Amino acid sequence: MQDVQTKPNGPVAAAFIAAGVGSLVLGITVVLNEVNDGISGFLAFDANFGIGSGVGPLSGKAILATLAFVISWVVLHVALRGKEVAFGKAMTISLVLVGLGFALTFPPIFEAIVHLFPAAE
Amino acid sequence: MSFTERELWAIIHGLGLGTLFLLAFAGGLAGLYSLKERLLTPDGVAERTLRLKVGSMGMAIVAWLTVISGTFIVYPWYRAAPGDVIDRAVQSEELAAYPRYWLLAGEGTAEWHRFGMEWKEHVAWIAPLLATAVAFAVLYYGATLVRRGDVRRGAIVFFTLAFVAAGVAGMFGAFITKVAPIY
Repeated sequence: MQDVQTKPNGPVAAAFIAAGVGSLVLGITVVLNEVNDGISGFLAFDANFGIGSGVGPLSGKAILATLAFVISWVVLHVALRGKEVAFGKAMTISLVLVGLGFALTFPPIFEAIVHLFPAAE
Repeated sequence: MSFTERELWAIIHGLGLGTLFLLAFAGGLAGLYSLKERLLTPDGVAERTLRLKVGSMGMAIVAWLTVISGTFIVYPWYRAAPGDVIDRAVQSEELAAYPRYWLLAGEGTAEWHRFGMEWKEHVAWIAPLLATAVAFAVLYYGATLVRRGDVRRGAIVFFTLAFVAAGVAGMFGAFITKVAPIY
């Protein structure tokens, strides 16, 4: 724990973990879009909900990742406000989530995952 | 000497916002790195904090504007499909108006889409998430961030990762625009 004279670090930990959650959701939607035609169709928020004409499934991936970020931030903020948490652990969790997000958006990795599902090829 | 609407938006998205992002990152990173109590007077901390707030908020705002303009304005022009009368297998002048399909039509250019664009369009969205978390940390603590070494170090890591994500997207954006411009 750091300086107790500063504000508790819970809200900052919440923001960092939420950014990780948003990154992971982005990565998951990238993989799901390739694996399943039904999900790919759902992710086309331009066609389904009129958001972003011509953007295709990227509209759904971007919006779901952003929503995951915002919603998880609000939930975690409420849960952690006024609390001093082990920031190192929060950072580790955040970095693992962000790392997974990065990895799942990297074409050689998400294509390798897609190949595990023969029906999707 | 003029730009088409599409060229103008590509410049705003890539060059304009990209340059601002780079400036905000450089300022923000320098501010975070040097925000150490032993190096600064109280007046110095106050002065650095203001700059840090501007830099981190600027980076977050610019990151959001960049991905939103890129995804919802420029990207549809990139991925637009040609009509049936245009042969999608030949890199013709007509097909050049449809960058995604033009790239895929050539053996030597297809990877710009399959690898470059596929990575760019997704990884870019990680940048604003990370930059927003950093901006929040800076605004939340203000001048007292100088006494939170753990948060400051975490912010530096997130700030750098945001830059990496944006850097990958920006680099491939520039290369792809060079190979298959949006007219």
